[in-house]
Amino acid sequence: MSTKLQDFDKLSTRALAAAIATGKISSVEATTEAARKLAEAHTLTHCTITPETDEALKVAKAVDAARANGETLGPLAGVPLAHKDMFDRTGKIASWGARIRADQPATTNATVIDRLARAGALQIAALHLTEFAFGPTGHNYVLGHARNPWDPTRITGGSSAGTACAVAYGAIPAGLGSDTAGSLRLPASNCGVTSIKPTWGRVSHAGAMPLALCLDTLGFIARHVEDLALLTGIVAGSDPRDAHTSTVTVPNYLATIDQPVKGLRLGIDATVIGEAHPDIQKAVANAVEVLSKVGLTKATCSFPDWTTLDHLTQVMQLPDAASAHAAYLMTRPNDYGPQVRARLEVGHFIAAVDHMTALRARGTMLARTLETTFKQCDIAILPINADPLPTIAELDVAGGPQVQQTMARVVKFCRPINYLGLPTLTLPVPRSGNALPTGVQIVAKPYAEDLLFRIGHAYQKLVPPQIARPLT
Amino acid sequence: MNKSPPPATPPDSDTLGAYLDMPPDRRAAAKAHVALISATVRKCALDLPLSADVDDFRRVLTAEAKS
Repeated sequence: MSTKLQDFDKLSTRALAAAIATGKISSVEATTEAARKLAEAHTLTHCTITPETDEALKVAKAVDAARANGETLGPLAGVPLAHKDMFDRTGKIASWGARIRADQPATTNATVIDRLARAGALQIAALHLTEFAFGPTGHNYVLGHARNPWDPTRITGGSSAGTACAVAYGAIPAGLGSDTAGSLRLPASNCGVTSIKPTWGRVSHAGAMPLALCLDTLGFIARHVEDLALLTGIVAGSDPRDAHTSTVTVPNYLATIDQPVKGLRLGIDATVIGEAHPDIQKAVANAVEVLSKVGLTKATCSFPDWTTLDHLTQVMQLPDAASAHAAYLMTRPNDYGPQVRARLEVGHFIAAVDHMTALRARGTMLARTLETTFKQCDIAILPINADPLPTIAELDVAGGPQVQQTMARVVKFCRPINYLGLPTLTLPVPRSGNALPTGVQIVAKPYAEDLLFRIGHAYQKLVPPQIARPLT
Repeated sequence: MNKSPPPATPPDSDTLGAYLDMPPDRRAAAKAHVALISATVRKCALDLPLSADVDDFRRVLTAEAKS
């Protein structure tokens, strides 16, 4: 390996883009190295569904040639990325992590894929996800389970498992995922990296596989918060192809990322946090101490009743997902893995009136959260995991009688935030010795992603990103 | 006129989800889970104003962006 690629796995997207733009590394070199590391990561974690190295290298060669000709290139020109395999790309059929797939290749790109391509990014692989992105642990009973790069006997979290593994291992600096009930946050937390779940409607969902569109939110997993800011700025914003997208102007997140955070109020809801395992409560306390060191002031806050929010989310989500899958579930039930099938079935038993109530109550609950919780603080901190990282075997409940209860515990601290539509950033908790990773989420008011990026960027000056390797 | 007492639990049609190929134990587990979460939602319904609308959520989001 050449000297200039020795620290490849530590480079941020931003730094890698700069290195390619200035000719320190060619896009072909970066892409070749990313593909090599991704192959290593896959052997360890089962993170890749389809490698696309040859295709990516063709684009990389074109980028290098264009740069040599002095052409003006996009901010991500020649940067190798890889994404959860749930996005339309012209001429391809996404796997959706499932046996059931679209009948025809896509005729257009998903908006997020288009915007990244226009910025010059390459895609070197399509990455693992839980079947239909409907599962928070990384188990996939159709394509095989993902394994955690810190300890391959343990879960990655899901559903954006492959992206988290590849990023944590250092194969790619960042990649796309989605979050309906924790699917960006759980794998980021379990693999020791960062993620952004933006405000609902901030990023277009056009061309992305739906799970429950009323909750689905696309976002990124990365090692560096500054990359989350860069990439979100590129893909966010209104889109005529997605009526749910907001027309609120997207700020230049990188322009404000170094602004001071001193004096911002960090809300702590002791009641909600107290429902986590004691070790997770300690992890949250450790993160609070780091945030205090970067200048935040601790404050007490309280969310609306957490169980109520969680049940409202389920009553909203489950019929939405069940409806989307109704045709397949009635005609090809045996093509589903046991867990997704059992979870999709539940949505068929929810009364329409209850579903409507959950939808109608959503604005009221958000308004209440803004009027109470966020009057007491600027951001709130919450756990992501309810319990320390379990093994793959411990959570291998498939579609058995424990599935609802087990999954409910896994997503306990994530799902209500989707109901409220709030933006949330995952931050890894400082690790000591051979401790396994876990993360916390900081949650802000709608469209306050810029605030999350500022705080997360300051946090990473004290808790720098780490590369995942199996702990001995 | 004879008045029948209100049902202790909301009516649950036996035909609900009948089109799904589910073993009885999984069907029972699904119904039990739905009973749990739906009970919470019905409590919420008691406090929800008549005017509450599905579009309120997007209105609150938009208002927050302007504030």
